[in-house]
Amino acid sequence: MEALQLFNKNETYNGFYAMLMVNRLQMLYFFLIMPRFLIHSYMIWVIIAVGILSQLNILLLSKWFLTRFSSEGYNGFVQLFGKKLVRLLSFIGLFFILLKLFVILLGFSEMVQIFMFPATDSNWLIFFILLSCLYVAWKGVEKTIRFVVISFLCTFWMFLFFAFFFFPPIAQLSDLYPIIPMELSVDSWKGIFLILSSFSGPEFLVFLGPWFKTNNKTFRYLSYGNALTVIEYVFLYMASLFYFGSNYLSKSQFPIVTMARYFQNPVIERIDMVMLSLELFNIVFAVSIFLLLFYGASKIASGKMERPPSRVGFLFSVFIILIGMILVNEWIWKSDEKQVILLNLQILAGSLSYLVVPITMIVVMKIKGFNKHETTKEDG
Amino acid sequence: MRLRKKMAKKLSIIFMALWLTGCAPFTENNIIEELTPVTFLSLSKGDEGKIKISTILPSLSKEKKSVITQEVSLIKEVLRSFNLNFYQEMKFGQMRMLIINEDLGRNEGIMSIINVLLTDPDISLRIYLVIVKGNFEEYLENQLDKQENLDYSFYRMLKHYEEKNQGELSVVNLHEFKKLLYTPYSDPFLPVFKIENDAISYEGTALFQNDKLVEIITTYDDRIFQLLHNDHYLAVLPIPELQVVLGHVRSKTKVDINKSLSTMTYTVNIDSRIEEYRGEKQLFDPQDLEDFKKDIQSNLEKQTQELVKKMQELNVDPLQLGIHTLKPFSKPMDEKKWIELYKKMDIKIKYNININPLTDANSKRQNL
Repeated sequence: MEALQLFNKNETYNGFYAMLMVNRLQMLYFFLIMPRFLIHSYMIWVIIAVGILSQLNILLLSKWFLTRFSSEGYNGFVQLFGKKLVRLLSFIGLFFILLKLFVILLGFSEMVQIFMFPATDSNWLIFFILLSCLYVAWKGVEKTIRFVVISFLCTFWMFLFFAFFFFPPIAQLSDLYPIIPMELSVDSWKGIFLILSSFSGPEFLVFLGPWFKTNNKTFRYLSYGNALTVIEYVFLYMASLFYFGSNYLSKSQFPIVTMARYFQNPVIERIDMVMLSLELFNIVFAVSIFLLLFYGASKIASGKMERPPSRVGFLFSVFIILIGMILVNEWIWKSDEKQVILLNLQILAGSLSYLVVPITMIVVMKIKGFNKHETTKEDG
Repeated sequence: MRLRKKMAKKLSIIFMALWLTGCAPFTENNIIEELTPVTFLSLSKGDEGKIKISTILPSLSKEKKSVITQEVSLIKEVLRSFNLNFYQEMKFGQMRMLIINEDLGRNEGIMSIINVLLTDPDISLRIYLVIVKGNFEEYLENQLDKQENLDYSFYRMLKHYEEKNQGELSVVNLHEFKKLLYTPYSDPFLPVFKIENDAISYEGTALFQNDKLVEIITTYDDRIFQLLHNDHYLAVLPIPELQVVLGHVRSKTKVDINKSLSTMTYTVNIDSRIEEYRGEKQLFDPQDLEDFKKDIQSNLEKQTQELVKKMQELNVDPLQLGIHTLKPFSKPMDEKKWIELYKKMDIKIKYNININPLTDANSKRQNL
């Protein structure tokens, strides 16, 4: 039996792939529900401000990419932190990955259930989606990274559709008033974290360093990805304000999909179904990457880094995730109260990981006294 | 290759096991021959707090159509009652219209009805809401023999007038109604159709206070409403008092509120031309035309003033006047405060009319 080649490195991808990955990892489940939690029109400025903050993170990330540690992958981390600490950190990282996986997949399968298959048990949907993710992940990290192109082509153009809501008769300019905050409530703070957590995702690229060709242009490409996300967020949020108005917006459970239901076409009536199905490509891409990261991290955590990736091991880790997901779905996701706790946890964890990971990498490098110029890889 | 075959075998065994054990994940029946889509529902008041719901079945196949009516206490209950009476299963996915009887809207409000529609992802947000005066079921039964596709032609009519600048009637869909209902400083409105002598015709616009129908404005008032708010355009505007018909009337409105929020000036600029005139005035004479314009102006001002006064008394704001108090850099007013202000507000109506010169009449004058 030939060995499973999950983590092989035959080719490296250029900045263009990194750009697409940053953008698609930021446009996951949260953008579909976000407008509902932001409500106030001045949150547009918060999206832009958090986008700029995210840009700073991107700067740190690209600095990390320029070091030789990033291209060495596991060994690079060991040189920085030491073996024991790396094991501990990857053990903690497992929870972050799991949390993100759960929220993305459970949230999306709930949407599919509500809008497409109301009579189908959501556990089946989780099973089928995870099965397709397993197929993609089985092809290895290289192919999965390549899959981002398909995911991007399938989903990117969707936000342009929402330009329809910018024009009357539904839209009124007063829906955007007041454009500066007149009073700040506790919800506004929650909104800031929610946006930050929605922007999170690129921090996981830290672990994919070996597969990227990094040079001085990396920062530029990563920034393009981030800027695209900011544009998409602002655009979608403004469209939802025009469509619902502030008051009604808070009452809609899935604002973006509800808006997609309003589109009309004589040939395809349920455009929302087509959009949700295509959005699945993005979810499958992200989940596959996280499945691979989860397996990699669990190998490090259990100290079996020297052994090649095994078929049984990988299947077992996906199986554990499936079981976990079904249990979380039954016990937590289906009850609204507990679902909010899980969402809040992910909002906190997402914001935290996005802020902490790039800063830690840079700080540790500084403390260890590695000079950036000595360690910079050769261009190309 | 061997490996792939093995994998495929394993997977197919899993799938076969699932299907054979009857563990099918997709339970709903979606075989087209087994279904009958519902194109509209008509709701009216039944006995003892019940709701009478009717529709035409089957809506699509070539079989003879018939009106089917049930009395239920909950709207979705009708699905079961209808299904037990018909060999195909009903689905709401193709629903295009919801026809609500006037009494139901007046007495009970229609919030609970539209909530049912909103929670169902199968039902489009674009379905038309319509109020009818009179017995719609009876009309359907009488008319179905003569006009088989009556529901479809009614839908096509609404669809036709939904397009911008038709200026004939108010057409409102579910989402628009709900947005107006939920947004502060606005009240929803719906078109009203009247059934008379086996014919259905447009009657006017129903004004709602929250979700309750409070008033129906008709004829002249309705035309002014179209001009001010809904379409800002009328193909023809007859003013019988002055024996004139204005054509291609296009309006631009401007609202000014003074700082103490006590007076509002509502200015309407109208561009139009005279289509027909049967009065005494010599319209080719510029002086007479000017006088005539002033007559039209004061007539429209008076009528609009009365309409707005009526809206203030009823405490409804379908014109969304409150929106003009919103400013980009100030805190929005509390909705209750606005309602208080609106009731007392002095609203001044001003019309500026621009009528195209009458080309033929002018040439006649030159010949004199």
